[in-house]
Amino acid sequence: MSVYLKAYTLTSALGAGNGGLRASLRANRTGLDDREWRGSDVPCFLGRVDLPESVEVAPDRWSRNTRLIEFGLRHDGFVDAVAEVGERVEKDRLGLVMGTSTSAIDRTEEAYRELEEDGRFARRYRQPEVHNPHAPTAFAAERLGVEGPRITVSAACASSAKVFATAKRWLEQDLVDAVVVGGADSLCLSVIHGFSALQLVSPEPCRPFSEDRAGISLGEAVGFVLLSREPAPGDLRLLGVGESCDAHHMSSSHPEGLGARLAMERALADAGISMNEVDYVNLHGTGTQGNDEVEGKVCAAMMEGDVLASATKGWTGHALGASGIVEAVLCLEALATGFVPGTRNTTTPDAPFELLLESAMRPIDVALTNSFGFGGVNCSVVFGR
Amino acid sequence: MIRPALGVAITGVGLWTRGLTSFAEFKAARKSGFVDLAASEFKPPKPAWLPARERRRAGLMIGLGVEVAHQACEVAGVPKDAVPSVFSSALGDTAVTEYMCRRLAQPAKVLSPTKFHNSVHNAASGYWTISARNRSPSTFVGAFLESFGAGLLEAASQAVAAHGPVLYVACDIATKPPLTAVADVRQTLGAAFVLEREDGVARDRRCLRAELRFRTGPLQTTPFPAGLEWLGQANPIGCALTLADRLAASETDPSRQGWLRFPAGPSCCVELHLEGGRGWED
Repeated sequence: MSVYLKAYTLTSALGAGNGGLRASLRANRTGLDDREWRGSDVPCFLGRVDLPESVEVAPDRWSRNTRLIEFGLRHDGFVDAVAEVGERVEKDRLGLVMGTSTSAIDRTEEAYRELEEDGRFARRYRQPEVHNPHAPTAFAAERLGVEGPRITVSAACASSAKVFATAKRWLEQDLVDAVVVGGADSLCLSVIHGFSALQLVSPEPCRPFSEDRAGISLGEAVGFVLLSREPAPGDLRLLGVGESCDAHHMSSSHPEGLGARLAMERALADAGISMNEVDYVNLHGTGTQGNDEVEGKVCAAMMEGDVLASATKGWTGHALGASGIVEAVLCLEALATGFVPGTRNTTTPDAPFELLLESAMRPIDVALTNSFGFGGVNCSVVFGR
Repeated sequence: MIRPALGVAITGVGLWTRGLTSFAEFKAARKSGFVDLAASEFKPPKPAWLPARERRRAGLMIGLGVEVAHQACEVAGVPKDAVPSVFSSALGDTAVTEYMCRRLAQPAKVLSPTKFHNSVHNAASGYWTISARNRSPSTFVGAFLESFGAGLLEAASQAVAAHGPVLYVACDIATKPPLTAVADVRQTLGAAFVLEREDGVARDRRCLRAELRFRTGPLQTTPFPAGLEWLGQANPIGCALTLADRLAASETDPSRQGWLRFPAGPSCCVELHLEGGRGWED
């Protein structure tokens, strides 16, 4: 069975909607900057979304993360595309799977800063639908009119890559006729100070796979993809997904990358292709010493021929639970337009294979993207024509 | 319209809550209508399954998930180092949420690196895979207060796709103010089930067979077992008790059929048409 991609949209530090993304990539404009994050003094660059004040949601759903989703859904006619498919299928046959790591924890942090004297949340923060891991999905389901199965995947930085595995199964098992997948993570103190505690935040814009890489630059993003079994001319396809665990350590990769390799192998097996059919690999490439060294080893051992490989977090920052959907859309854009993004900010690569530094126009047929996360969770996704 | 069903067999169960530290204890307590349960105390599981480093770093939520996961695999007799897993929770580890948010509300905002990596919702899943040396896929899914049903659908879907066993683990720990404003979880509960594709389970194996479907509409969901209403209502994954109760019931009447419905989201549920069980008397 084939899974077809009917529509997609991405809002990240590179801009609002796919148009913003394309404009920034073509102009070689990174989304990272060193403007201060309110309440934080960690020296860092961030990939923030310029969220207009005018983007509002209901008070019981108010959070940066919800507003980010609302903003994201206003682009690329995505809501209309879902509505159009929704009209053709029965109501309970349209599903939603969203990946998130932060959910709306930004709002919970705020609530704790403004506790009432008796220790309770102030009235405006009594928002049960916001302070839980499922918040993005519940909001997006209402906004998109999804009445079929809807579920949140929260598996750290692999969250919105793993959504493709669930969606593909649902389509294959005929549980749904169409399914929206997505991801939404927003910047907040938890991630800035958490990664800082792990000494993984770079004081400069992150330089994935660079000799002098110094850690990650955090980012935020929201993105969605609409999938169905129904082909139309020109549709891109979801070819395969592979998932694994390291079973090694909560926050450092297996030194030989056993889990990462398994995820890539399983994705290729699921797609029914071999690595030499892959034209472009979007690396997880966080810019930390550990990740890039291990991922480099695994990819060098697996990649054959003149495959293009780049790490794109120097453009977008590491959007954590949304990084899977960010990099999925970068792969889809590369397939659709032939524009393959380079490894922004990296000039002296430290990779045991040829890393694409400068963006290039290169027609490609198959793209693979890697996402690895805390808990030793790994996921690779393969897209094609 | 009849929707496609996922044919599954439940072959293992693990349980930990107030006064109950295994499915065997659940069955024993069931015989007396669970009368003594409310008077007993909650004892946190000793995270004996974890290697020393992880044991030092694990809180209650992680210890609970890892404990019931191992229990369910042992009951089912499935290889712990190979079974894929789906973890689920309404709120995640609220003790870690509380720690993080309180620290971040202070001027210094100093966080423990360990607490930070434990703050990902797949923390228990990660510790489980380390404790079982398991490199199969593992995930965390949620649907807020309907997480048990939504997670069961995901685990059943994976079991049918995997042609082998899948471990399903659901846990929520008791909340303290101010997080009681999100959900007033008064009792800690962890449960795990092993699900397998129905046609892959030999006729003589201990199991409860069921056809599972997603359904929408104003459907009445299955009430909690008699004597356990207070516990079921005190935890978002209370439906796990209903499923455990039906496993226990299938031993007295192996042919017993019927259905169970668990909420899976607003105005929707997963429906299990039971096709009889066997072997739970051990």
